[in-house]
Amino acid sequence: MEQYLFFLTILFPILGACLIPFLPYRRRTDMLIYLEFLCLVTSALVLTLLYLSPQGTYTLFRFNSRLSVSFHLDAMGKLFGAMVAFLWPLAVLYSFEYMKHESNEKSFFLFYIVTYGVTLGIAFSENIVTLYFFFEALSLVTLPLVMHTRTREAILASRTYLYYMIGGAAFAFIGMVFVLTYGTTASFLPGGVMDLAKIGNRTNVIYLVYILSFFGFGIKTAVWPFSNWLPKAGVAPTPVTALLHAVAVVNTGAFAVMRITYYSFGADYLRGSFAQYTVMGFVLFTIVYGCSRALKETHLKRRLAWSTVSNLSYILFGVVLMTPLGLTGALCHMLFHSFMKITSFFCAGSVIYKTGKNYIHELDGLGRRMPKIFILFAISAFALMGVPGLAGFVSKWSLAYAAIDSREPLAYIGVGCLLVSALLTAIYMVTILVRAFFPGKDFAYSSLQDITDPNWYMLLPLFVFAAVVIFFGIHPAPVLELLASISGV
Amino acid sequence: MNIFLLAPIFISFLAGLALLVWSFREKRTPSSHKTEAKPWPARTLFLSALSLSALCTVFCSLKVTGSVVLFHLFSKLPIALSLDSLGRFFVLTVTLIWVVVGFYSITYLTREGEEKRFFGFFLLLYGVLYCLGCSQNLVTMYLFYELMSLTSFPLVLHNGSREAIMASLKYLFYSMCGAYMGLFGIFVLYHTLPDLSFVAGGSASQALLSQGDGLLPVAILIMLLGFSVKAGMFPLHAWLPTAHPVAPSPASAALSGIIVKCGVLAIIRVMYYIIGPSALQGSFLLTVLQSLSLITVFMGSLLAFREKVFKKRLAYSTVSQVSYILFGLFIVTPQGVQGALLHLLFHAIVKCGLFLTAGVFLYSFGYTRVDQLQGVGKKMPVTLWCYTFFALALVGIPPTCGFLSKWYLAQGAFASTAGVFRFLGPVILLVSALLTAGYLLPITMDGFFVTKETTVHADKPCEPSLWMLIPLLILALLTLGLGLFPNAILSFTQSLSDSLFQTVSTLFIIR
Repeated sequence: MEQYLFFLTILFPILGACLIPFLPYRRRTDMLIYLEFLCLVTSALVLTLLYLSPQGTYTLFRFNSRLSVSFHLDAMGKLFGAMVAFLWPLAVLYSFEYMKHESNEKSFFLFYIVTYGVTLGIAFSENIVTLYFFFEALSLVTLPLVMHTRTREAILASRTYLYYMIGGAAFAFIGMVFVLTYGTTASFLPGGVMDLAKIGNRTNVIYLVYILSFFGFGIKTAVWPFSNWLPKAGVAPTPVTALLHAVAVVNTGAFAVMRITYYSFGADYLRGSFAQYTVMGFVLFTIVYGCSRALKETHLKRRLAWSTVSNLSYILFGVVLMTPLGLTGALCHMLFHSFMKITSFFCAGSVIYKTGKNYIHELDGLGRRMPKIFILFAISAFALMGVPGLAGFVSKWSLAYAAIDSREPLAYIGVGCLLVSALLTAIYMVTILVRAFFPGKDFAYSSLQDITDPNWYMLLPLFVFAAVVIFFGIHPAPVLELLASISGV
Repeated sequence: MNIFLLAPIFISFLAGLALLVWSFREKRTPSSHKTEAKPWPARTLFLSALSLSALCTVFCSLKVTGSVVLFHLFSKLPIALSLDSLGRFFVLTVTLIWVVVGFYSITYLTREGEEKRFFGFFLLLYGVLYCLGCSQNLVTMYLFYELMSLTSFPLVLHNGSREAIMASLKYLFYSMCGAYMGLFGIFVLYHTLPDLSFVAGGSASQALLSQGDGLLPVAILIMLLGFSVKAGMFPLHAWLPTAHPVAPSPASAALSGIIVKCGVLAIIRVMYYIIGPSALQGSFLLTVLQSLSLITVFMGSLLAFREKVFKKRLAYSTVSQVSYILFGLFIVTPQGVQGALLHLLFHAIVKCGLFLTAGVFLYSFGYTRVDQLQGVGKKMPVTLWCYTFFALALVGIPPTCGFLSKWYLAQGAFASTAGVFRFLGPVILLVSALLTAGYLLPITMDGFFVTKETTVHADKPCEPSLWMLIPLLILALLTLGLGLFPNAILSFTQSLSDSLFQTVSTLFIIR
């Protein structure tokens, strides 16, 4: 019974989405009803799974005795699944309004909802083979979304996207093969599966392979020097940039890195090795690099995308601390950053939808015309800056605490990087807000006559996300306890 | 009864937000700036909310003890408010300046426009500053410290010119930089001393500071440097001379009088309520900080001396004067701390008065430069007399109040064990006082005694309206009164600073 529930949860959105182009809709709203039906049923299935929490492992199919595509439910998968299940229905509601003026919306929604199923597959994957399988599938199903507009720019961006993803997969594949060869099993087990007897004196090779697979899976989290694809992919419609390239796809990368670090290679095995210092060096550089690029960028969505690059490396910083506290911090930032960044992207999307303005210098005075959107944007901006009382502060705090607790000098520098990045975040976010709210005394508001806040399709998801950001900022204790229990502090 | 602690916050936030929403919903047409149809409803709301919350604050600081927990950030880390002696001292200073500046700004703002927005942020800032004073632990303080930066920068950009916007952003980013440096220290301190609540005399021991991998002292140094950004200490003082001239004068007065003192407050809290003087004694941190503060004292005066724009000159003067306070704190003696506390209050009053005077000249004649002020004493004798008292106090000439604080600062330096700074400190303070006289008093002389060449347009007195004059008179009276009858304030600050130096019986070491 539970076996089928797993398969149903993952396959239902995929199969249901395939029907989207073929159903007869009398009105456009009918499509919304069907889309929301798909999403809500899937989310309900996920919740049922979380409620039942089946303990076993369920195999979909088997290549040979060691390689299989199979699922299970552990605490980390639960967290990721719950997050995705919460975000998707609201994001679809927003996208439905956003896509009103775009063409080919049926194919858009097809891939948008297929991605949901694939992401759940990653959340529930039981071994590295399954993870790899869905990881590849995710690259392929999101590709059509990147080139959705079919402009030359979009085609070029999707080509870049594809190259990066294929390259990443190659590295990840090497990692997978080594885990299969030198591990006791392919499954994810807390503490790792490496067989020290088999490894013998080849420790350095394993460390090197860890670095390779870190970058292989880490390409999706846009770690430097592989971060260029993310801002370029911003040509996609905003719902894609917001949900996939700020939350789902990139968090999948972070999730995969967590899995291989803590559940395949083993954090204790890696801690203190040159592999840890190498990847941490790259991560710290990305944190500062992403923010500096964001500061230079004048295109609103690309600026947010560079900010995502930096914030994803916060998550990776927690991961590569290789301590349970570090994992707690990483999970915490993964969760909270999703809500903060989706809020800011959706606000940017609403501005683009309502005014067609893409550049930051065009935002002058919009704060008075679209007060709700810009107040929500301000909340997400302050949260990203780490103002206490909002979610971003909590995750930054737990990351910094873990870094100081690890007693590594490089981690101390990491705390410095976090704060430098926070300052840069303040600069690139507040300048946007100042433009919107204080355009200067001679500004002619008459030039923005008929611009208003969008309707509730767009506002409802935004309000929910902002409420979550505030709630977790004020009352984070239950979440933190949950995360601590996941990472085994 | 503790809940009454929240009353001033509640009133000022509610009224502030109401004013902001009100200003936000107004129709924006190019002409509506100048012809505000009915300014009085908003002004009445502003003044009554300000007075009401000020009364509540006074009541709280006299009667209410105990603490209120707003929410729990982490299980062991409440965001809580309570009033201790230092908190009382700070919130009362804030309240005094805020009420005076608030009444002053009614007339002043008629020129600037967008009154409601100004009043709104002004009230919000009052609530935030009140919370900052009441903070019960370091994280609570950090929360309101950041909010303070975020609510005060709209006051700086008020006039909406490009220059003002750039200046306000510079101010904000300097503040943020300082706040994040402070946050680094908080992270490290939290790991060592998980209980970050303020205890008079601190709770760290000397052993704690010297053990481990040397991260803690470095983190504390970074933290103190971070908080001193707000206090305008070299090398991160550059925001002050940029932000002050473009801000409306009431905002400059509030910035110089109070906002820079928030950095001072944060430093007192860290040094004397978290770590403790006994642990800091003889540490290399203090030498670094003492030298920086003395450099700032001297450099600020020198820069003020050669500055010709009046408000910029006052801003440099603030840079110099606030570092007097910091020097008093960094020498870690009871007299030094007492001098610092006195100077905190007196400088708030005096510098606020000076900026309000500058505002009067700016408002009435549009004078921004010092050389334009020749003969101004003929037109505004009362204002210039007030100015003269403030100037004397800032130089430190008895019987004005500035003399007292400088006396205690020098005493503190002599009593300390700070090596060469024992003598060099007071010498630099004196040299700087001379420079202060050099850049402030010529204005009085030129104002009253007109040289032959200058022609004075109107010899008749034309004092500003009473809304502006009465606040100035009040401040001038306080300057003189506190210098003549200082006993109450002296005994209060003495008991406060003594309480910080009592050896805490339970020195506990963690790890």
